[in-house]
Amino acid sequence: MATTTLTPAASTYRSGLYEWITTTDHKKIGILYLLNSFLFFFIGGLLALGVRTELAIPGLQLLTNEGLYNQFFTMHGTVMIFLFIIPILAGFGNYVVPLQIGAPDMAFPRINALSFWMLPLGGILLLMGFLTGGAASAGWTSYAPLSEDRIGAAVNDAAGSGQDLWIMALVLIGTSSILGSVNFLVTIFKMRAPGMTLFRMPILVWTVLVTSVLVLMATPVITSALIMLFIDRNYGGHFFDPATGGNAILWQNVFWFYSHPAVYVMVLPAMGMISEILPVFSRKPLFGYRAFVFATAGIGALGFSVWAHHMFTTGAVYLPFFSLMTFLIAVPTGVKMFNWIFTLFRGKLTFSTPLLFALGFLSMFLIGGINGAFSAAVPVDFALHDTYWVVAHLHYVLFGGSVFGVMAGLYYWFPKMTGRMLGEGLGKVQFVLMFIGFNLTFFPMHQLGLAGMPRRIADYAANAGWNDLNLLATVGGFMIGASMIPLLWNVFISLRAGKIAGDDPWEANTLEWATSSPPPPYNFDRLPEIRSERPLFDLRHGRTANH
Amino acid sequence: MSSTPGSRPSTTAIIGWLIAAAVIVALAVLLVLNGAAVWNSFFPPEAKSVQGQEIRNLYDIVFVIAAVIFLIVEGLIVWTVIRYRRKPGDDELPAQTHGNNLAEAIWTIVPTIIVIFLFVISWQSLNKIETVSATPDLRVRAVAGQFQWSFEYLPADADATTKALFTVNAPLGPDGGLVLPAGQTTHLYLRSTDVIHAFYVPQFLFKRDVVPQKNPLHDNQFDLDIPASGAGQTYRGQCAELCGVGHRIMVFEVRALAPAEFQAWYDKQVAAVNATAPPAPSGGQAGPPVNVTAQGVKFLEPTLTAPAAGFTFHFDNKDAGTPHDLDIVASDGKKVFDSKEFPGPAVQDLPVPPIPAGTYQFICSIHPTLMTGTLTVQ
Amino acid sequence: MSGSSQSVLTTGDPGHAVAEHNPVAGLAHDSRGGISNPILGMLLFICSEIMFFSGLFAAYFSVRASTTPWPPVEPADIAEHFNLHSEPWFAAILTVILVVSSVTCQLGVWAIRRDDRTGFIRNIGVTVVLGIVFLIGQAYDYATLGFGIGDTTFGTTFYTLTGFHGAHVFGGVVMLSVVLYRGLAGQFSSRHHDAVEASSLYWHFVDVVWIALFSTLYIL
Repeated sequence: MATTTLTPAASTYRSGLYEWITTTDHKKIGILYLLNSFLFFFIGGLLALGVRTELAIPGLQLLTNEGLYNQFFTMHGTVMIFLFIIPILAGFGNYVVPLQIGAPDMAFPRINALSFWMLPLGGILLLMGFLTGGAASAGWTSYAPLSEDRIGAAVNDAAGSGQDLWIMALVLIGTSSILGSVNFLVTIFKMRAPGMTLFRMPILVWTVLVTSVLVLMATPVITSALIMLFIDRNYGGHFFDPATGGNAILWQNVFWFYSHPAVYVMVLPAMGMISEILPVFSRKPLFGYRAFVFATAGIGALGFSVWAHHMFTTGAVYLPFFSLMTFLIAVPTGVKMFNWIFTLFRGKLTFSTPLLFALGFLSMFLIGGINGAFSAAVPVDFALHDTYWVVAHLHYVLFGGSVFGVMAGLYYWFPKMTGRMLGEGLGKVQFVLMFIGFNLTFFPMHQLGLAGMPRRIADYAANAGWNDLNLLATVGGFMIGASMIPLLWNVFISLRAGKIAGDDPWEANTLEWATSSPPPPYNFDRLPEIRSERPLFDLRHGRTANH
Repeated sequence: MSSTPGSRPSTTAIIGWLIAAAVIVALAVLLVLNGAAVWNSFFPPEAKSVQGQEIRNLYDIVFVIAAVIFLIVEGLIVWTVIRYRRKPGDDELPAQTHGNNLAEAIWTIVPTIIVIFLFVISWQSLNKIETVSATPDLRVRAVAGQFQWSFEYLPADADATTKALFTVNAPLGPDGGLVLPAGQTTHLYLRSTDVIHAFYVPQFLFKRDVVPQKNPLHDNQFDLDIPASGAGQTYRGQCAELCGVGHRIMVFEVRALAPAEFQAWYDKQVAAVNATAPPAPSGGQAGPPVNVTAQGVKFLEPTLTAPAAGFTFHFDNKDAGTPHDLDIVASDGKKVFDSKEFPGPAVQDLPVPPIPAGTYQFICSIHPTLMTGTLTVQ
Repeated sequence: MSGSSQSVLTTGDPGHAVAEHNPVAGLAHDSRGGISNPILGMLLFICSEIMFFSGLFAAYFSVRASTTPWPPVEPADIAEHFNLHSEPWFAAILTVILVVSSVTCQLGVWAIRRDDRTGFIRNIGVTVVLGIVFLIGQAYDYATLGFGIGDTTFGTTFYTLTGFHGAHVFGGVVMLSVVLYRGLAGQFSSRHHDAVEASSLYWHFVDVVWIALFSTLYIL
């Protein structure tokens, strides 16, 4: 760890590899989550660049084996969702939530360590498929019966052990999520500092709370689905095999029952991080705190009733109900959007890197919300489903939303984690590259989808009219890749020689900034009084200023 | 705070201008070069079916509403960000506004009204699209299997279980495709022989999954009306649901014919089936057998050897529901032997006339990327 | 999962120790009373387990609804064994065993709440034995059923549901054995027995799942 301005109180704070491997300290585990997630982010990114390179121009050049191409996009999706976005948000939650509620640690520190260590194990299992005759290749959704090997084994590539490894890895990662969510919920319910009532909790804590409920209720369902798939594949079961009385659509129902709430698992904590950052850098409280909390809870609740909007074209779901629910979920999301904008409104904005990424989140997530409304209109979804439009939509939500949020959070909390600031100049270079690269990559996919390009194809006809946009998207993809270089360089030099952060470099509002950077093992020597959702603001400006 | 000294333009400002400039320049270049094409790229292709036109109308409404909301909200973000930036040296706190019930009520209620409006109009157009005629002019079953479409033409009073009158096995080309009468109503059934596929024709703005079902009565079905003006047109279709390594090659064509032309084509197909010519081994020159097996859309034999004086392919197609054929291609790309495709599981003997000694490729012309091998003729 | 949750509880970790020894505002988080962390954690974990079994039950009912008749009548030589309704007696005995074990488990909890350690150990001991008897009974049942997991959707759903329930019974037996061992070592008292409460909650949950399974598979 870097130099700190305050010597940690506990002198037994050993460092070294052993300490990191055996740690049960939520801050170290949080940092391990971040490191592990970024490692998989880069792996998933390289897989995506492989896919984009293949699609740059018509014809098969790089991934001439189309089975390998299928493995690439399958593993890209799986790695990014299950080993990057979900864990990195859990990592921020791990680091920040106990600090923000004034707790010394999570409720179950050892289970916390266990939850973390399941992730690298799951990741290794998942990637091992590449070494054992082919990774999973049925898409990250692994629709049955394609993901079952008994039908047309030779052409599915699902016959190999890759698909089984995929199942095992996801069960492991899911278990990790469930244990983590139990831990978060008990921590938030039971370990808040005196005065930290539910409606004085920082919004990030609220979003982690709702996320944990979603994980707790949804993840076990996909675990059951994965186990059924495993039984079908390995023990002659018939859950998803229509030829023997099973039901192919059943997989999609149980899969999306988890995977749609999982979208909110992937975006709510990022919203929470944005909601911490925007008030700090506009020097105003979050506009409509209570409305924001209710909107978060509303998204969580509605999130369980929209799963079948992924299945409009199956002809097997009651379309009007799921269409209506999907439209309705836009309302709480819109409430949040306006709350954020009016937090900025009449503020005094300081354009530090965290704010830039937060603004990136705002402007890009807006697109991801609006283009989602197209698919909520069922007939329009008949045209757009499974085309590149959907790829554009999901990346505007998960990249334009979550990843920009993650970057904002990284620049925001890095000083707390390490005691040193990340460089502003490099941060801004990264932001520009990522912002432009992101839009170059994913905006053209709207048009590709409208022009009829389906997802998950390795090649397209040269005369289909898709050449220019695909090339543009590939150029953008490499620009996103390039934007990781200033980030890595920034982290590298800042750890060695970054500006010393001090306790509270941002003039922030929440409790984590009331302790040293990095905090001592058990977080606080003493806590300020908590009389509002901005205890540090009260400390700085007096309670009366908070009006 | 770690930000910006006041004397020189801050990096943030430079970056802001850079992004703005890049976006504006890019947009300007695009618009100047090809404004109409850029505008059109925000819309699906012109709809070539009655149902597709309904979807297109709905899309246009959703697009306008979405574009207006986008411009307002994104504009609000950009304006707020530019307007309320902190001036150097300004350390005063802004007003600490915690909320405003009226504003929050407005931005809850107005979006609710908008989405309910969108829901209602999309439900209405859904009902129109899903309407099925009791007496369609034609019933066809599109059969999808890895990685091939075929089209089974059914009798007028058929349901999803009825046996085909005749089958078009080639998904593309002048002798293949889904041939439909323009200006008439076709009822389509979607049958899968293995995994989930999806019937997708971009110009109809429509897709529907082909879900494997044990009971054919559960197969997806829908009506398709190509207007009379579509006669003579061909539309590209493609499988839209990942179905394995050959997913990309699962393309097909929809050919719309004027009703009279269609009838002629239809009668010809029926007549061809009724002729029931048994596949007679032509000529008497059947030579020694050469075994070829197709399984899992692959040839099990990567190399074959055969005598130049003529031989007989003993071709075993083990892929249930998937048609294969067996052609011999010379090094200059010319086909020296061309067989008819047939669906598996089945075995056929294909007599090959004498061909000059040399090295050839044998392929399945339906799956040319997946099924090839080398044939040495001595 | 259970093992670590209990050990966290008993060994205590330095964090809590620091918190308790520093009379600093804000760190005395556990002193507010109410439900304890391990019990709340177990309740939440049971929520997730309920969702897990809901997934399996949903699959069962989905498959059952699309199969007529149920149970399937083909292939005839195997399908004759599918008629579990005609002889539910063995499963009924297993049900009684599990319900009784739930009762003894709860008697054990009440005993330790009164500081009656002998009664506590005796009751938990009986519970563990009943759990093991249940598992043996289920193994015997599996061996004599006459159909396997691959025999139509009936076999698949039957073995998946009962198998995963069996795995949970096994987990519960392990959990209660640890409780028993620690009880014999004298680690529990009326003030300090969260692990006992948490394990008994889990055991009741396993019991309830079996009752749902028995009703669905043998009676409905």
